[in-house]
Amino acid sequence: MPPTPQQKLPLAIRNDSTFWRYRPTLQLFFPFLAAFISFIALDCFRPTQAQSSSPSMEIFTDVTEEAGITWRHFSGESQDRFLIETMGGGVAFLDFDGDGLQDLFFVNGGETPHGKSTLPIRNALYRNLGNGKFQDVAAKARVDHSPFYGMGVAVGDFDNDGFPDLYVTGFPRSALFHNNGDGTFTDVADRAGVKNAGRWAASAAWFDFDRDGYLDLLVTNYAQFSFDDVKKCELDGKPAYCAQKVYSGMPLTLYHNNGDGTFTDVSERSGLAKLVGRALGVVAVDANDDGWTDLFVARDASPNLLLINQRNGTFRDVAVDSEVAYNSDGVARAGMGIDAGDFNGDGKPDFVVTNFNDEYHSLFVTGSTTLFDDKSVSSRLAAYTKPFVGWGIHFIDYDNDGNLDLIVANGHINQAIESTRLDVKYKQPPLLLRNDGNGRFINMREFAGSSFSVGQSARGLAVGDFNNDGGVDAVFTRLDEKPILLRNNEGQNHIWVGLELQGTRSNRDGIGSKITIDVGKRKLVRWITGGASYLSSHDKRVIVGLGDVPSFVPITGEIRWPNGTLQLLSNLQRNRYQKIVEPGADEFHGEKHN
Amino acid sequence: MAKRTMCRLCRLLIFASKLCGLTFLLSSCTASGTNRVPSYGTQSNNAEERASKALQLAQSGNLELAEDELRKVVALEPGNSEFLQELGTVLAMEKKLEESTSSFERALRIEPGALLARRYLAANLWQLHRFTEARQNLQLLLKAKPGDPQALLLLGMVSENTADYATAAKTLASVPALVRVQPESIAALARSYYHIGEADKARLWLRELLHHAAGARAVLLGAQIADEMQDYHTAETLLISLQSDLSDEETLKYRLALVKFHAKQFAESEKLVQQLLDGGHQSGEIYRLLGWCRQEQHNHQDAVRAFQEAIKLEPTNETSYLDLGRILLTERRLVPALELSKRTANAFPESSRAFVLKGSVELAATLFTDAVDSFSHALQLDPSSPDASIGLAKAQFGSGMTQQAKATLERAIANFPKKAPFEVELAQLLLKEAETGDEGAEARAERLLKSAIVLDDTLAEAHYQLGELALARSQLQRALIHLGEAAKLDPTSAKVHFALSRAFRRLGRNAEAAKQSALYDKLKEQETSRAPDAPAETPSSN
Repeated sequence: MPPTPQQKLPLAIRNDSTFWRYRPTLQLFFPFLAAFISFIALDCFRPTQAQSSSPSMEIFTDVTEEAGITWRHFSGESQDRFLIETMGGGVAFLDFDGDGLQDLFFVNGGETPHGKSTLPIRNALYRNLGNGKFQDVAAKARVDHSPFYGMGVAVGDFDNDGFPDLYVTGFPRSALFHNNGDGTFTDVADRAGVKNAGRWAASAAWFDFDRDGYLDLLVTNYAQFSFDDVKKCELDGKPAYCAQKVYSGMPLTLYHNNGDGTFTDVSERSGLAKLVGRALGVVAVDANDDGWTDLFVARDASPNLLLINQRNGTFRDVAVDSEVAYNSDGVARAGMGIDAGDFNGDGKPDFVVTNFNDEYHSLFVTGSTTLFDDKSVSSRLAAYTKPFVGWGIHFIDYDNDGNLDLIVANGHINQAIESTRLDVKYKQPPLLLRNDGNGRFINMREFAGSSFSVGQSARGLAVGDFNNDGGVDAVFTRLDEKPILLRNNEGQNHIWVGLELQGTRSNRDGIGSKITIDVGKRKLVRWITGGASYLSSHDKRVIVGLGDVPSFVPITGEIRWPNGTLQLLSNLQRNRYQKIVEPGADEFHGEKHN
Repeated sequence: MAKRTMCRLCRLLIFASKLCGLTFLLSSCTASGTNRVPSYGTQSNNAEERASKALQLAQSGNLELAEDELRKVVALEPGNSEFLQELGTVLAMEKKLEESTSSFERALRIEPGALLARRYLAANLWQLHRFTEARQNLQLLLKAKPGDPQALLLLGMVSENTADYATAAKTLASVPALVRVQPESIAALARSYYHIGEADKARLWLRELLHHAAGARAVLLGAQIADEMQDYHTAETLLISLQSDLSDEETLKYRLALVKFHAKQFAESEKLVQQLLDGGHQSGEIYRLLGWCRQEQHNHQDAVRAFQEAIKLEPTNETSYLDLGRILLTERRLVPALELSKRTANAFPESSRAFVLKGSVELAATLFTDAVDSFSHALQLDPSSPDASIGLAKAQFGSGMTQQAKATLERAIANFPKKAPFEVELAQLLLKEAETGDEGAEARAERLLKSAIVLDDTLAEAHYQLGELALARSQLQRALIHLGEAAKLDPTSAKVHFALSRAFRRLGRNAEAAKQSALYDKLKEQETSRAPDAPAETPSSN
């Protein structure tokens, strides 16, 4: 086992405070010491895989070029200003070929009646070659083309065959690309009955709502839409995207996995069909800790939904009672992206939702009763996000200190905004907000990396560890531009454990699992959620940052699997991934369809 | 000589009262017997002659020359209070009230005991709306001569003007004979009674107008008062009494229609207005009332047409443009509203209200930087416009000019006597700042809200914000008090009911929470059904 960073670094430098870590004056005062430490850190603690050769003080480095990612999003932007032009595209981390390396899948938009492309519009599937490089194999894998305007992607092994499948959402239909296990995919949406025809679908979430071991699918539908229905709006005399309320909302779609390669639309039966609104983001997580996966749906100028699983195939919306539906004035905000995570370390899931400028992004912390406490202001999330329109958002312990931080993708929808506002820009920088462990975020813009200082038209955001070094990396898409792949340079500086779950009686991906890690007096809770962020899908493995835990402290824990099985974990190994297989039946749910 | 002088002043005043119809200028000449002015030989004789000449000139209607003469008289004998009073009287007859006031003030400096002069000074000050000074002089007068009826009458009028209705009612009621002389004083007494909750007495006095010598004018005034005070039945009764007497059918029908509109009988009001139009009576005022009737009956398109007719008929009448703009803004038809507001501003470049309209539409359309320009211009044209001031602050805040917005509101608080709305606006701005980390902002906001409520307890928004603060601090009972008050003051505010439902829910009073929640849902639906963000129409060329 390689020596840990803590064993090499002098105590003076090991102080965890932000001041010590990032103050340039430290380097001036101890130049030799700093250089020596940097050298040691690079030389001894870098994982065996080849990395970028130049050491960096920034937390995230843009490695898009280096990785060979050349794909560009195409929005079909036109003078017609269809709202769909400004709202795609999704991205996913997934290991599609089972080689242990996280690959990347990008969803492209599409043409509009007056927004044409000179080149074919393709999705991209970048295979991780293991050396920091990626190769687009989308055409070979037969996922390069979606015959519709693409929006987002949800990755899930719906048939439990060990190969992740892709549900690609869009308008006026969606696709289910079944992973054939040989590097290719087949669109089985028709056969499976999950086409979601006629609808403008946004985010989707795989989750097992009835605990039968098969992943079901929740699709958020945004609005009633047609390319024949041009809505003319102006801002400051120029054509602009209309406010979302111009478009009527849609119900959610819930597909039950029959276990045989087909699905049944249970939207009506489940009670979800009557919840009409403009849904954009969804995360599936056990909100009330009863062992059944629930749903939090972020909706745009429609009240958010907190759908509690009633354990009988139906859901009950408690968002209003829980005070997460509206802001304090009873106004529904522009909810786009969402994530769930234990922000304050109390073992219960908290939620973050991205909103429009002036609305602030929201942080809802589980309270003592059924109520959530809106901590947007006290956590300073409101202060940092006031001028931003947020999309993808994810909890991410970027430095593995055990506190969940936040990464957010931002960007306005109307280019003309800058002629009417002095404080809001069209292109907006992403945010990296560090959780100080005391209920507050700190804006890490100064240290996050150059990508966080430049305005972007960012939309989808996914997190995953593409280089398996324990540092959670991130990728976000941009309208009509290349995405940005960010390599995390900080994750290895603290102890971490990585868990890759494999369900046997539960769904193979382990979506819906609750993981509790005990280290000393500290208890860290994480979930494998379905959905999360905006239009995007994430590395299913869980990295739990443990901070500076001494080597003599054992790391134990437990997993509550989606079907209720409780599995104890002991002697978890530091700084590596370990596969945890659900105990119980030897036979896993194999393929039942052809 | 002195006796002759007294007679001349009396005669002048009697003539003036006939000319101006102001009983306040009637003097009790016997009471002024003590005011004697000594004569000073030749100069005095000259002054006396000129003064007599001035009286003759005034009596023959030549007030300008009379004024000239009296100025020369005063120049000859500047220390003569009597001459100054005469000059003051003539100036008042010429409606040169400021100069008349100065003249009387000079007279009183020489002869503080000149009660007549003090009475006329008070009358001038009343007409100049310098009510505090008017009241002070009347109080001095009444101290010297308690029970002076003219002084009591005037004091009653001043009190009514300054909204001291209790004093007004008491004082005017003590001089009923004098009150009865003029419809204006009857109207003032009636209004005062309404305000202190004695509507029956108010009605009794208004009925006196039915047989008043002033005729239809008096009845119309009475009807106006009753209408203002929401006693629509009395207003209608008064107006209907004129049906046989008043030849001006247009005025009568219009006033009746107005009363019905105020009584929310919109269909009946519209019917009357339509009768006027069918009868060939057309005016901007009539079309505007038609427009408002239709708007209140949610007949929006026809309302707009009516206002457009009003504009066509009277293109130089700003009111029609402003009314139409308000309606388009309420209906959130922002593109036509913007078009109209630009047209209005172009047509009335010196009108602050036109630019307030333009700024309001720009604000609604989130064109904040344009709104800043419009409201700034409105404020330049009329620095005393509260709408311009508040609008500017909102626009500045909306465009990100937070410090400037605060400065605008601080200035308004310092300058405007009715500062409560500005305090509420500033409080809301500070509460927004508090959300982004300004720690002192919330405390200051709370102080401002409390101050605003002390000044004006009818500000629903202030109660709402205090309720929200209490709710955020889990002071639930206090929250309920403030939110309950807000709901009483503004029962159609969806957000108030939303907040109430939250408070009840946290208290475990779930039935009440559900009721408030249902109210919120209903009101919210009404708000959104007003096609708030319907696709903007392509603007027509103008």
